[in-house]
Amino acid sequence: MKRKSTAIVAALAAVALGAAACGSDSDSGGASTGGAKDGNYKLAFVQGVAGDAFYITMECGIKEEAAKEGATVTTQGAQKFDPTLQTPILQSVIASKPDAILIAPTDVSAMQQPIAQAKAQGIKIVLVDTTLNDPSVAVSAISSDNTAGGKAAFEAIQKLAPNGGKVLGVGVQPGISTTDARDKGFEEAAKADPKFTYLGVQYSQNDPAKAASIVSAALQKDPDIVGIFASNLFSAQGSATGIRQAGKQGKVNVVGFDAGPEQIKALQDGTVQALIAQQPGDIGVQGVQQAIKALKGESNEAKIQTGSTIITKDTIDSPEGKAAAYKASC
Amino acid sequence: MTAVLEARGITKHYGHVEALSGANFDVQAGEVVALIGDNGAGKSTLVRILSGAESADGGEVLFDGRKVNLTSPTDARELGMETVFQDLALAPHLSPVQNMYLGREVMRKGLLGKLGFMDNKAMREGSRSAFDRLGATVRDLNGTVGGMSGGQRQGIAVARAAAWAQKVIFLDEPTAALGVVQTQNVLDLVRRVSGEGIGVVFISHSMPHVMEVADRIQVMWRGRRVATYNKADTSMEQLVSAMTGAVAQEAS
Amino acid sequence: MSTTTSAPPASTEDAPTSRLSRISRLQALQILILLVVTVAVFTALRPDTFLTGFNIRGIVQNTAIYAVLGVGMTFVIITGGIDLSVGSVLVFSGVVADKIMVAYGGQGWGTVFVGLAAALASGLAWGLLNGILVAKAKVPPLVVTLGSLSAALGFAQIITKGLDLRDAPQTLVNDIGFGNIVGQVPTIAVVSAVVVIFGIVLLHRTRFGLYTYAVGSNAEAGRRAGVKVERHLIKVYAFAGLLAGFAGLLNLGFFQSTTIGGQSNTPLNVIAGVAIGGTSLFGGIGSVFGTVIGLFIPIVLQNGFIQTGVQPFWQQVVVGAVLVAVVYVDQLRRAAAVRGTPTRLPFLSRAGSTSRKGSA
Repeated sequence: MKRKSTAIVAALAAVALGAAACGSDSDSGGASTGGAKDGNYKLAFVQGVAGDAFYITMECGIKEEAAKEGATVTTQGAQKFDPTLQTPILQSVIASKPDAILIAPTDVSAMQQPIAQAKAQGIKIVLVDTTLNDPSVAVSAISSDNTAGGKAAFEAIQKLAPNGGKVLGVGVQPGISTTDARDKGFEEAAKADPKFTYLGVQYSQNDPAKAASIVSAALQKDPDIVGIFASNLFSAQGSATGIRQAGKQGKVNVVGFDAGPEQIKALQDGTVQALIAQQPGDIGVQGVQQAIKALKGESNEAKIQTGSTIITKDTIDSPEGKAAAYKASC
Repeated sequence: MTAVLEARGITKHYGHVEALSGANFDVQAGEVVALIGDNGAGKSTLVRILSGAESADGGEVLFDGRKVNLTSPTDARELGMETVFQDLALAPHLSPVQNMYLGREVMRKGLLGKLGFMDNKAMREGSRSAFDRLGATVRDLNGTVGGMSGGQRQGIAVARAAAWAQKVIFLDEPTAALGVVQTQNVLDLVRRVSGEGIGVVFISHSMPHVMEVADRIQVMWRGRRVATYNKADTSMEQLVSAMTGAVAQEAS
Repeated sequence: MSTTTSAPPASTEDAPTSRLSRISRLQALQILILLVVTVAVFTALRPDTFLTGFNIRGIVQNTAIYAVLGVGMTFVIITGGIDLSVGSVLVFSGVVADKIMVAYGGQGWGTVFVGLAAALASGLAWGLLNGILVAKAKVPPLVVTLGSLSAALGFAQIITKGLDLRDAPQTLVNDIGFGNIVGQVPTIAVVSAVVVIFGIVLLHRTRFGLYTYAVGSNAEAGRRAGVKVERHLIKVYAFAGLLAGFAGLLNLGFFQSTTIGGQSNTPLNVIAGVAIGGTSLFGGIGSVFGTVIGLFIPIVLQNGFIQTGVQPFWQQVVVGAVLVAVVYVDQLRRAAAVRGTPTRLPFLSRAGSTSRKGSA
């Protein structure tokens, strides 16, 4: 009995060892000592959440640019967009001593301290997509002009429903800088137009199921909603489901933010009427460039804003549309 | 001599079923009394009532000649009566010492005791002396009770009851699941307990065991006591026939 | 107890160590070995970065809050129960503490102590509710704590309107959340260690701990022996709730946020740690030390995998496999040691109704 259990414990250890040795990312090979060697920088990318086409596209951009510079990249992300999950991952990444970290913080205040710890260890920080209350810990903060994006979303609804009506915002969670800015941009633009009534914003907690129930409940309450702005991928997915559940396909215009494969399909199917696509690949490219600049001791641009593209059913297959769509893998 | 425990005219029904219809019982100090009867005769019910686990609907219970009202096992325990039911009520993950003192732990003196610290040494020694005195075989005082044989567990349960009881202990089918050697150990234990002046009441289906260890045998049938015999004056045949109701109802 | 003169020769012997504690110590030892082996493997793979002060600090900080929850959970599971509400009670207590600290005003220690009182009171209240429903109303613990999981989180969301509160006083964040008590030793780790040591003493040295084992082992036996089983169960759940409240305050300090959305996996992670550490989900056996080791393993695995560049999803797979394997090994060993253990998970049944197969 004791021998058997010892054997099992040994087997477990072997599994752990095997998974660690064999399952490595292709880029993160041998152990390197801390400290930069020219052209062989170690970059780490900490996503907001794993499995999200937005961050995958960003990862592709990062890897391409890093390859040009001869740097290596490891990518990590938690299962949920949440600081309680991102913090231990970030701390492990910091401990592995990369030269620079590109990170999308999952909370403007909760991630402040952990990221400050990275800076204290001498690692260069670049904030990509989301930001912090005090972004000075980073050499650069790169994101889309989210406020303009929210405004653009409203313009898309104006075009789709020129007679006006009620509009609803489906947000993620307050405290995420990017979606906050989009929600704000949309709200301000909607309130500025007397033909439209702004019903406020509700939060999906980045859960498509929750977004679906919010939208179907909202449609029960206000069956004459003409436009919904879903400020991120999962919220848009859920909103489309909610509209289907309420049987209002074709009657409610949904403008989504972000253009993942499911979103593109929803656009093609007509569940979503327009998408505001960010340029995550470009954010990634710029992120790497800023990181390398900082490591070489050159000066940085503290804030960079990238643009967005409106995609509609008509423009999906155009070259711009195709380029704007997010990737599911690199 | 006044019986240490006596029951008169106990009635008890569960719904429509009349489990006891005017049952009598008595046990003297230092005596081993066997309570026998066929299934459904009311033996276990009577013992549950006398040990305070249940309350009677009618009749009276006298302890040392005084009328008492047993509302809970604690009442019975305070009078000095302990019970070992068939499930033994041992915690299998605890040691014999911890089981022995369960609910009655010896605390350390002073502040430590108030904070909940126990005097394990005292309890270990007390357990050892109790087991030795009563001849209960406990090989590993620190092992878990669950890992011991049925006989050892029975011994621990009976020794526990005997150690705490001042006056009476009830044993419900103490030898039911035991082998030959283990049964002998338990019967020896029973005799030793009665030798200390404690009245032992045990329920059994096993005539040979009853004949071997009991001083007196009381037979129940359909909720009443129908006969009382001294062991010396009776035989197995007589007991069996009394159990089947062949004996006329006893005049109370 | 009565004494007598005649006695047969004694045949009792003291084993040098208690078999019960030997079993759980063996389990805790094997888990400790597993942890040491894991650390050794990762250190070999990443010699410069794994066993550094910074990394160890990070690992310990991330385990600290789980350890506090783990102490309470160990007690609950030993009684044969379970507490799924710890994550939600943590959130609720953090929310209440934050609100009260903001109302009280100030950024210093006085405010923190007010918040501490509020957090402990909130946790205790939920714990008492759980305990009363389990012990008196006889609702199965799984159901009760599933209910309080929803209710506590719901209340937290009502109070905050779904938005995390982020205004914890500076002292809480700087000194407790991220501060060091001396040198490089994180304050939160020391606080957690104090709770763990308290839990160890309470469980293994006091009557309260003994009754916890007794109730989990055979509640009916305890009841007949005069142990106030219902009252004890209430105390155990109240204790778990109290610790969840305390963890809520620590969590607020560490994340500077009430983390409303971030605690949905917490009860399961804590239960996994408890189970890996050798506490049986059937009740009657367990140790706090084992729980702490059991909580370290998933976190060390995650840390090591990240450092060696393993895909995040593998971490989940391996942790799941470790959990099942460890509990399986433990069951094998336990089956031999204790006969008459139950075959149904007790937290699905009414509390205090542990039934044993073949006891006589």
